[in-house]
Amino acid sequence: MHSKTLGWALLAPTLILLFFFGVVPFIYVLFVSFHQWNPFAVNPDMIFNWAENYRRVVFDAQFLASLGVTIAFVFFAVVSELIIGYALAQAFMRDFPGKAFFRTIHTLPLIMAPIIVGSIWKLMTTPSIGILPNILDDWFGYNLNIGQSALQAFTVTVIMDIWHWTPLVTLSLIAALVSLPPDPFEQAQIDGANKRQIFWHITLPMIRPAIIATVFIRLMDALRTVDEVLMLTGGGPGSATRYVGVHIFKEVFPRTNYGYGSAISVVVLYLTIVACWLLYVSLIAPRNTRKG
Amino acid sequence: MSEDTKTPKPGFLPIETNWFDRLFISVVIWVALSLFWFRFIEPLGLSIWICCAISAVLAAYIIRRG
Repeated sequence: MHSKTLGWALLAPTLILLFFFGVVPFIYVLFVSFHQWNPFAVNPDMIFNWAENYRRVVFDAQFLASLGVTIAFVFFAVVSELIIGYALAQAFMRDFPGKAFFRTIHTLPLIMAPIIVGSIWKLMTTPSIGILPNILDDWFGYNLNIGQSALQAFTVTVIMDIWHWTPLVTLSLIAALVSLPPDPFEQAQIDGANKRQIFWHITLPMIRPAIIATVFIRLMDALRTVDEVLMLTGGGPGSATRYVGVHIFKEVFPRTNYGYGSAISVVVLYLTIVACWLLYVSLIAPRNTRKG
Repeated sequence: MSEDTKTPKPGFLPIETNWFDRLFISVVIWVALSLFWFRFIEPLGLSIWICCAISAVLAAYIIRRG
């Protein structure tokens, strides 16, 4: 009983903070999402309009299009980060000259604010002054102009996200790989297993919890990408990189449409929770042993 | 907090769930069904309240038997 009380006492500060900074804002956004509210309109009052905002969300072609490009963005970014992150983690497990230097250098993008990352990539990709269009044009005769080509803009935002967040995946997987016991690997080598078999049957199952935790973090982060993309492309050209975060930003701030913006935010939060929950259910939830 | 809230209970759902898990699943289904109804069923003339009634019955069934 004493340890239970102590447990709650230790948890209390975090729970209180979470309540005020997580639960209360969520309840407020949920409340606003059931209202029509434009504080800068002729009538600045909140007008309760039942679920009209949600009814509008499911018919909003711009939102549905932004949801589509967001899903594509999240898929390409998270899968690439996982593959490159694992390859880098394996590379950093080996000894090579300058390993400590490269390990420090490769984590530098992580400490940069997203808005700075967006600015740097904007400078690098701006035609005529950017280094990337110049190099690609000089070496390969390839014309890079993210202000004109939707595919190029989308690809550059994915590459920018990979550049920014792969170090997080690498660090998580290094921590997981370092903590693996050597015995199963030695046993597998004695039994004659090759590298591929060791990877699929020993390494991957043993680092699965770390991979799942990393995917959760990256999935949630990638779904709410705003500032980098807003700085780099502003959601364009057209709506090629108008990801849901950018769409909500444009709906709420320039148009001051708080009620509808809140409804979109709630729907995106719902989709994020469902995506993570489905991942949890399919990968780690304990199975029911008895048929009901 | 009742024992039912903490203890995983075998039911028709494919995963082990406690009372709160089943409530969560019910809310997730409720929201999904409502959005689907808004998009495809309501334009045919069926009110959203029918969806709410179906979702409530489904939620009660999942919470009791899931």
